[in-house]
Amino acid sequence: MYGGGNVFETMKATALAEEDPIKLAEFEARIDRGEKIEPTDWMPQLYRKQLIRMIEQHGHSEIIGALPEGTWITRAPGFKRKLALMAKVQDEVGHAQLLYSAAETLGKPREQMIEDLISGKSKYSNIFNYPAFTWADSCFISWLVDAGAIVNQLANSKGSYGPYCRALERICAEESFHLKYGHHCVIHLATGTKTQREMMQAAVNRWWAPMMHFFGPSDKISVHSEILMRWKVKMASNDECRQQFLDMYVPKIWELGLTIPDENLKKNEATGTWEFTEPDWEEFKRVINGDGPCNKERLAVRRMAEERGRWVRQALLAPQAKYVTPLA
Amino acid sequence: MLKSLDPRVNRLALPEEFEAPMASKEQLDQFETYQAFVQTKEGKPFEHAGIVHAPNEEMAFLFAKEQFSRRGMFCNALCVVKTELIQVTEFTDNGQDVYDTLEGNYSGETSESFEVFHLLKRGKQHKYIGNVQAKDFEDGLLAAKETYSRDKPVLNVWITKSENILMSDEEDVDIWNTLKEKKYRDAIDYRAADKIKAFKEEQAQG
Amino acid sequence: MNQEAIKDLLYKMADDQLILGHRNSEWTGFGPLLEEDIAFSSMAQDKVGQSWQLYKILNELGESDPDIVAFMRNADQFHNSQFVELPNGEYDFSLIRHFLFDTAELIRFQMLSESSFEPLANLAKKIKGETKYHSMHAKIWIKQLGSATEESISRLQGSLDEAMPYAFGLFEVSKFEQELIDTGIFAGEEALKALWKNATTEVISETRLTLPDMESITPVFGGRYGSHTEHLQPLLDEMSEVFKVDPTADW
Repeated sequence: MYGGGNVFETMKATALAEEDPIKLAEFEARIDRGEKIEPTDWMPQLYRKQLIRMIEQHGHSEIIGALPEGTWITRAPGFKRKLALMAKVQDEVGHAQLLYSAAETLGKPREQMIEDLISGKSKYSNIFNYPAFTWADSCFISWLVDAGAIVNQLANSKGSYGPYCRALERICAEESFHLKYGHHCVIHLATGTKTQREMMQAAVNRWWAPMMHFFGPSDKISVHSEILMRWKVKMASNDECRQQFLDMYVPKIWELGLTIPDENLKKNEATGTWEFTEPDWEEFKRVINGDGPCNKERLAVRRMAEERGRWVRQALLAPQAKYVTPLA
Repeated sequence: MLKSLDPRVNRLALPEEFEAPMASKEQLDQFETYQAFVQTKEGKPFEHAGIVHAPNEEMAFLFAKEQFSRRGMFCNALCVVKTELIQVTEFTDNGQDVYDTLEGNYSGETSESFEVFHLLKRGKQHKYIGNVQAKDFEDGLLAAKETYSRDKPVLNVWITKSENILMSDEEDVDIWNTLKEKKYRDAIDYRAADKIKAFKEEQAQG
Repeated sequence: MNQEAIKDLLYKMADDQLILGHRNSEWTGFGPLLEEDIAFSSMAQDKVGQSWQLYKILNELGESDPDIVAFMRNADQFHNSQFVELPNGEYDFSLIRHFLFDTAELIRFQMLSESSFEPLANLAKKIKGETKYHSMHAKIWIKQLGSATEESISRLQGSLDEAMPYAFGLFEVSKFEQELIDTGIFAGEEALKALWKNATTEVISETRLTLPDMESITPVFGGRYGSHTEHLQPLLDEMSEVFKVDPTADW
């Protein structure tokens, strides 16, 4: 699972001018033909850098994303839910593994990425800095946060970088289980007993604001983002993703008799777009910069896993081991 | 102590604040990488599934099995190869055969056995094509060029010595026997349209 | 066939698998390396899945619904060995327990594939591959870490010494033991224990670990008869926290 609102690096005006114009033209022609770029191809520095950043953030979001739902892994009610949640959280770890591998093909070793995550240098999706108070929160995440992620990932899977597309193809196939499982859980709560319904409604109330933040603020149209779109690094604007999500899921939430805590939320039938109260972007920035309810805990847990696992890795590491960048 | 909603985290008694930044991960804290290939059904070609980090090939196999064949209806076999031991050709554009860029002729020598994988389209997976005998890697590629009829252009070739491949034993194929039983990992197991319908009807009645 | 004897056998196996599967799932997302995190989670799922299958057989023999049986009993009604309820500790203890338990599990199900009680024999045959992978995973890890660094060897040795009396508790005989043997349902804990000793000794002998003297170990018994450590009840309370909000609700 993953959100939009990637933090792309601002391009230096000189960066592109320094690239070999013939190679750059060939590179762009390949993308225009709809062919994928593969790891050993020539690529502009900016392309490599932005992709590493994006795929790495995506990977971090998966490994951190395993934590809010992991909060309920030992408490899932009944065999069916217990097995499903174990498998789902496992999948998130699996997705991180796949994404880190894709980013590695661009030249950044995995352990470096993990170090940058723990030191706070790299970002991950903001939504995972919120706590999962009840079982219903974990159901909201499984269904709707994953639904948002799928909107994003489906767009990105049509991007230009081969290894990222391959990883996303696998991931999207698994996400279909997550989405159905999450929906199944929410349906059971929303149509269940009074207690279950209230639990679910409270979770929707808590998670709606982070969900609207999930896709990031409206994109500023800049030369920079135009280039990333032309190179098929960025595949859809944050607003497009948010609109698509609202269009697909608001009716499904409403049909379960749940309310969404935004009285301005409605589809403008004339324009076909959803109108809503502008999310609080100041809060979004605050949380991204470390001041959310769970930022500290999320990183502390990753750090703990890293430190507790250190003796294992050191014991296994052969002195002559040679790290080789993955091929695909 | 850090207080968490996750009882697992509370049991670990993490500090509220760490006193020092984490010790930097040493350069060495990075395993070798292995390429994993999966055969879903007998007779189908092995297909590249992805990579794992592992300290040796036995563990690479253990890891690849769960990372790349834990779901789906079938899996027949799995193999892993250390990335370092794979030789890779250039990448051509779609439509251009990489074998056409190779010069020279196959020696006809059969001192060493090699396994060959082809990529037919950018963005897709490398697939196993077969085994050739030759004297070295370059010769192996030339042997492959002679051996395999190429209806579609091959864009990239991976070649490795046969001895580098760790393959699941035939008698161990039963480690995938219960794959299709694990319905809880499958979207199909989560249908609930009836429940929504019943709920709506109930609401309508009021 | 004596239903009580069969039920007793099924309960202790199911409870072992459930509790250990639950414990092992606590590692998901916290593992020492990403790939192992994934592999260990799969094995935890297999265990919970196997326990579910066993409770389903019990259900067919007239016991309550598997969810009720698993989520509504108290510690003194559980028949698992104390071994599986112990906290995970560090990865060395979890691995040692995985190795000792899963070696026994593989042999137990091999024996049961010959059982005269058909549902159990069928299940044992079906999951043969799962248990084979578990044991393969355990062996490879123990061989690696048991011969690697001073730290890994001493950690594993410490955990092995600590775990052994509890591991022996896996083979606590039931009051129906002779009946199970005589009716060909299960060849018995003593037979299993003998095979298990050989299998574990073989693996440990390929490492730099030392097995404690098997003859002088005092097994920790009681689990099979509902006597447990202080760790089981909190585990069950946690596991059933949501379920017990409303056990009649459809979650």
